[in-house]
Order: sequence, then structure tokens, then C-alpha cells
Amino acid sequence: MPDNGKQQPRKPSKPFYFNTSEHLLRIGRQKACNLSELLQAIETCPEDSIFQHTFRTLQEHHFIRQGFSNDFGHWSVFACNEPALAEQLASVDVREFTAIAGLRARMVEILGQYLHNNPQAGSRPAYEPFYFCASDIVVLPTTFKADSLKGFLDGIHQVSVHSIHHHFIEARLRLHLMSNDFSQWLEEETGLERVADSIEKIDIYTNTMEGVRLQIARIISQAMNN
Amino acid sequence: MTPDNKSGTTTATPVEDSPSAGPQTERRKAPSTPGPTPGRRAADRPLPASVLTPPVPPPPPHLDDYQGIVGQGQLDALRFLARELKGKTIKMVNSTAVGGGVAEMLNRLVPLLSELDVPTHWDVITGGNDFFEVTKAFHNALHGSAYDLTEAARQIFLMYNEQNRERMQFGEDMVVVHDPQPVALVRSKEKTHAHWVWRCHIDLSNPDRKVWEFLRPFVEQFDAAIFSSQSFARQLPILQYLFYPCIDPLSEKNKELPDSVVQKVCDEFGIDRSRPIVTQVSRFDRLKDPVGVVQAYKLAKKYVDAQLVLAGGGATDDPEGAVVLQEVKDAAADDPDIIILDLPPWCALEINAIQRASTIVVQKSLKEGFGLTVTEALWKGKPTIAGAVGGIPNQIIHKLTGVLVHSVEGCAFQIRYLLTHPEFARTIGTNGHEHVRENFLMTTNVKRWLLLFRILEQARAQRGKKP
Repeated sequence: MPDNGKQQPRKPSKPFYFNTSEHLLRIGRQKACNLSELLQAIETCPEDSIFQHTFRTLQEHHFIRQGFSNDFGHWSVFACNEPALAEQLASVDVREFTAIAGLRARMVEILGQYLHNNPQAGSRPAYEPFYFCASDIVVLPTTFKADSLKGFLDGIHQVSVHSIHHHFIEARLRLHLMSNDFSQWLEEETGLERVADSIEKIDIYTNTMEGVRLQIARIISQAMNN
Repeated sequence: MTPDNKSGTTTATPVEDSPSAGPQTERRKAPSTPGPTPGRRAADRPLPASVLTPPVPPPPPHLDDYQGIVGQGQLDALRFLARELKGKTIKMVNSTAVGGGVAEMLNRLVPLLSELDVPTHWDVITGGNDFFEVTKAFHNALHGSAYDLTEAARQIFLMYNEQNRERMQFGEDMVVVHDPQPVALVRSKEKTHAHWVWRCHIDLSNPDRKVWEFLRPFVEQFDAAIFSSQSFARQLPILQYLFYPCIDPLSEKNKELPDSVVQKVCDEFGIDRSRPIVTQVSRFDRLKDPVGVVQAYKLAKKYVDAQLVLAGGGATDDPEGAVVLQEVKDAAADDPDIIILDLPPWCALEINAIQRASTIVVQKSLKEGFGLTVTEALWKGKPTIAGAVGGIPNQIIHKLTGVLVHSVEGCAFQIRYLLTHPEFARTIGTNGHEHVRENFLMTTNVKRWLLLFRILEQARAQRGKKP
């Protein structure tokens, strides 16, 4: 657990409104039956498909602690039996990107390089096709609003994991910042910069979303007790 | 779906989807715990009195009854989603009020949507035997069976659809047509202000070409189509969405049971809970590969101790089911640890108890729709081994929420592995339970309908197309 120092929080001037997002899965027009087709489809598919198979799939599988990162990596190993490629694709951390274009480019780069080095892998038929989907999103309010650090902690404990995902993971696409809604509010409204940093550093790939929630709560509790 | 109701009634009572069949059991061994008449073949004795008649169905649950299962946050989300739709109405149309998974789902979905102030009406189309013979043939043809589509069949299909279209009113804001039987009702679309949605519950990945080309022009008139798996969809010029089938966690088949009930059911069927139990629940149908399960069990049993329970139906009302049941009995031969249960269709609670008593659940299908028996097993936290077919890979992420197999040998190995690695088995069982909570429960289904309705409303507002 990082040392959060002994910062004293300011009283926030603006409350934190906990929202959540709900998604409807739309079936796309593209599918891939081998890795070359996957590369081609990733290059050309709509941005909301890239979002679905990376950011959104993490939310769908938020309860898995280990071994699930994104749909492209998962398909590469289980349908194409290419574990080295799968490891590279799975290691892409969606939180390193503030726009889908950058995430798409990274996936294309990994896949393109792999097929350049392993050209025979491109046309080998996959065990099952990859169907491209996309998300239609509706953002909803929740009943939780925080106008103090304690209220914020209560909200963190009580909102759904979808709300945690919305504010903690999807937020960077909205903010276009390497940050999240929680850290932004804590830094701007309470002045707890180190707490904000500690929250931003939580590893979402070795935690379930419930685990992420507990870590956020622990960091805030620690700051309140200082 | 069984096209067995031609009444046109909209009165729906909760029904449980169970393996259909006549009441017969085949117990192959006296249980080591107290059971009925040890050593006596179950086929020679009647079923327990408790399962001879259908139980009275319980009333459908209310939204708040799900709070302890999905959490207040999810219920709040449903209410927020519904708020902007308040007063708007939905019509669901299908071809049967009782029997089959669609009617079972609508029995729960319709009251829950109405409770959210989105009044939802359910209409059932009517037709003669000739209509339902044609639609059953269409159903099989869309699943890939060979079928000679005649002009007479086309005319019968269109005539009954036209009769129903004239009889029905479509004053609602969204009309949902389930499956192919009522698909031609969409001819009324232009006279209404509603969003028209086609909910296809069947696998269209390999349809008979003539039947699909006949139905396709109707499907293309809808605003959106919904499929149960990405792989079931077709290339269409309309929006297509993915709605996974769902289970109701409060139904007789899936509700929590006291251990005393589980024990009682096991005692009645001669299942020994002191030893590992491997179970497959499914109709006696070759596509469910029950003989393959027996073979896998026998391979595994060389290394591990376990009983095998094959609980299903389909042997009484389906001549092929009886043949398959006999094949299963032949494959089981004189193994005293194989318990074969041919259950009547209302034994939802007994199936629930058997699944809960199981150490491992298997669904070794060779072809599958979505595979709701897998969903049921995952919901009960059971480590599940299943064939990688149909919609099963949507539910089982290999080695994370269950294990996928492609052969008898693979199934045998996974039985051995899961029985000897209980920690891993527990982990995938827990993950599987959470996967169902997140994606395959009735409340998620309600949410998807509300989301779709809102998205279609927003799209219309953006287009400024209709008032």
C-alpha cells in the first residue's frame, strides 16, 4: 500500500455525482476466421467495436481476477492457439489510452508485427470465428452523491461495480486524461493529490472490480484516518 | 418451441422449463445412504408420489424480490432506465402461451416490465394444425434440416399471419415479434408509430436457403433484430442486437433450496451424497450425447470414485427419445453407480436439487442452442464441463468460468481433473456464478429490453422521422 502522507482534505466545493453506464450489445457486420482477417477488421471496424472488445469486455468479466484482458487476446489463444500473440495482446492496458484511436493502433501494431514474423499464422483457420460487436451506451444517474470525503467513501462502498467501472476505467475516454473521475475529483476538490495518484495506480488486471472497489475504499479510509 | 397452443389467450401462468418425458426412472445401484428399496431396479418401481403430479405454480416474483440477488444498484438502474419510458407501451407477440422457453421467459418478463410502469401486453397468435405443422417444419428447416418448401406451405403461413394481423391492434410504442411464426405481422408496421423488433430465439447460422429467403423480406422490414448469440445472426440491413437467454433465479428450477430438500430428493432417487456426483441434465437426445457422457464417466472412473446421474426426459413423448434412453441404458450396462432418471416435465424442483447436490455438472452437447442447463449449473456455482458448441462458449470461458471439451476423452480428463483439484473447481464455479449474475439473469433481460427501447427512441428523435 503506497504511503499517502498526511495530507489534510479540503471541503469540496462541488459534489461528486455517482453515475453508471449500461450497455447494449450490437452485433457488427465484420467477422474474422483467421488472424489476417482479424487484423484487417481491427483496422477498419468502428471505434465502438474496439471499445466493446477491450474496455467493455473488462466490465462484462469484472469478476475474473486473472487471465482475462480483452477479447482479441482471448480469441488468439483459444481459437487460434497462438499463446505468444495472446500474451502480447492481453498485456495492453486500456488505461494507457485516452482515445480509441491509440488503442486500435497498438493492437494493429502488435498483430501486424506478429504476422510479419509468423506469416504462416495469418491464414490458419481459427477454431471458431471472431464476431465483431459494439456497445450502445446509456449513462444513468445513481442515488448517490458525495459532498464530503466521508460521503464519497460511502458512495464507493455502495454503488454497483458498473458505476466503479464507469468512473474508474471508462472515464479516461471522456476526460482524455491519464486519470479517472475519482482521482480527478479528489485532487481538484479535496486537494488529496497523493491519494488521487494511489488510486490511479491500482492494477485492474490482477483485481476483480470488487477488489478495485475495496482498494479505493482502503486508500480513502487511510487518508481520512491520517 | 412447441406449437401446441392455439387458443390466442393472453393469460399466462408461470411454467417451468423442464426436460419433457414420461415418468420413469432407472436406478442402477442401491445407494449407500438411506434410499428407497436398496438393490431394486428403479424401473421396476413407481416414481416417488411427490413427482407424479405437477405442483401448483407459485406467483411470479416482484422486482424487489431480486434485491438480495442482484443488489439495489441494479434495481435502481432498471428504475432509472424505465423512468424516461414511463407510460410507453410494449406488445410482445409469440405463438404459444404455455410450454417452451419463450413462454416461460415472457411469463416473467411481462409483469416485471409492467411493474416498472412500461405496460407490456402479450398476444399469442392463433392458427390451425396446418399452420403449426408448417411453422414446425420452418423451425426445423431454419435449424438446417432439409425441407421442401411448397407453395401450399407458403400460402398457409401467409393466410394465418394475415388473419392474426387483421385481428390484432398495434397501438403500442414497441412491438416485439418472437420467432418466425408471426413474422409477417410486420406488414402492419407502416400503419403504426411503433418500433418493430424481431426477437429470433433460434440458430439461423445454417438455415434452409428457400425457407430463409421466403422469411427474409419480412425480417428486413423490422427496425431491429435480436439474436441469442453472435453466431446465430445473419447479414441483414437492419440493426442487430445480442440478447443472451436468461434464467430466473427465483424460479423453482433455480431458487435456493434448503439442504433438507436436496437431501430428500437425493434419497428419493437413490443418489449418495457422501460420494462425488457427476450429473448431466438434458433430454435423451443424441445431440446431447448422453452415451458420450457415460463413456467419459467410465474412462474417468478408472482413476476416481464417482456416481453418474443422467437426469432428463423425452423418452415417452418422443419415439427417438425412447431409443436414445435404451442406448444409454445399454452403454451403462451393469455399472451400479450410473443413475438414469427419466423425469416428467414438471420436476423443476427435483432438477434444482440434483444440480445442487452435484459435485460436477456436464453438458456434453454435440449441437446446442444457448444451453440454459449450463446457465443453471453455473448459477448454482457448479464446476461445469461442456461441449464447445452453440451458445455454450458465451457462458463458459475455458478454464475461467468452466471448461470446454471437444471429445469423450477430453470430458473424461476434465472429470478426473476437477474431482482431484477442488480448489480450481471451486474457483471456476464461483466465477461461473458471477458470470451468470452479470449476464444471464432475468433482471439483465429486463434491462436489455429497456435499453433497446430507449436507444430506438433516441435514434428516432435524432432522425426526426416520426412523431
